[in-house]
Amino acid sequence: MKSAIGFIFLTVVVYQAMKRVYARFNTPLFSPIVTTASIIVGVLLFLHLPYATYMEGGKWIGKLLGPAVVALAFPLYNQRETLMRLFIPIVQAVLAGVVMGIASGACLSLLFRVDKILLLSLLPKSVTSPVAMDIAKEINGIPSLAVVYVMIAGIFGALFGPALLRTLKITDPIGIGIALGCASHGIGTAKALEIGKEEAAISSIAMTLSAVLAAFLCPLVVSVLL
Amino acid sequence: MKRAVVVIVQVAGLYGIYLFGTWLQHLFRLPIPGSIIGMLLLFVLLMTNVVKARWLEAGGQFLLSYLSLLFVPATVGIIDYFSLFRGRGLLSVIVVALSTLAVMATSGALAQWGAQKERSASFIQKNSKGMHG
Repeated sequence: MKSAIGFIFLTVVVYQAMKRVYARFNTPLFSPIVTTASIIVGVLLFLHLPYATYMEGGKWIGKLLGPAVVALAFPLYNQRETLMRLFIPIVQAVLAGVVMGIASGACLSLLFRVDKILLLSLLPKSVTSPVAMDIAKEINGIPSLAVVYVMIAGIFGALFGPALLRTLKITDPIGIGIALGCASHGIGTAKALEIGKEEAAISSIAMTLSAVLAAFLCPLVVSVLL
Repeated sequence: MKRAVVVIVQVAGLYGIYLFGTWLQHLFRLPIPGSIIGMLLLFVLLMTNVVKARWLEAGGQFLLSYLSLLFVPATVGIIDYFSLFRGRGLLSVIVVALSTLAVMATSGALAQWGAQKERSASFIQKNSKGMHG
């Protein structure tokens, strides 16, 4: 009981500190989730503590993930006018992105002969972490691994996305916003905010919409094809 | 103090919607996560004005502003799976990187094309209206 409260305290304190570090350096590599999780992993390894012991406290923090996903309805609702105005271009682009993400993830994994458990965990990688974890659970992947792949997709996309978009001559705010939100979820949306307000608004729509579509399509693809 | 109570009550409300979503998932044996069902439900309730945004928005913003803290514990779980990344497992990182670029190119190009088409369509509409009226 005491250690459970200790672990909750540790997590919150490290997170607050890492949020400050991120505000100073402002690179996706220093996203609070990456630095905080790395430090806690380091502490557990150093003290030879098993994950299960940490989770006696950690599980209470994770309990709020469900309602947080429900709350994702707000960014979508707040952008409803943009969503309605550009409904067809947004939905078709996000749907294509989600299909491309699942198809390329599955095909490349099969090509590289990646373990099936890794394949199932990386399938929802383009989607915001809490939803990706739920999808991974649904398709018998490993939620913790799913989060790691989500982070890789987010950081990689935020670092190299802008250059890719320039090369492809995607300069329209709607194109940039959809691309970053669809491929790199929250981390991409943070990047979009550096580019402009309209890009960020579109990106948050794309991020939420792609989470919903992936939640429908991932289980479907897995049950039909794999 | 009052704000804290409001946030707690609203988070509890969102938790209720989440539980209802998971209940629906089990009832109909849906493969879609209960959290997403709850989110869609809330979106529909907001759009139809059955639920007013201010009833739940402070709690929602609170959860979303701490979103990345909430999945720290799950992420730490990677500690039990380090061995999976040895050897061939490392290729999965390349898969994710390549697939991310593919998603970005596809969705971005299609969105730009769609948005430009929409703009020129509304431009023609406006102009033709002008001509007739």
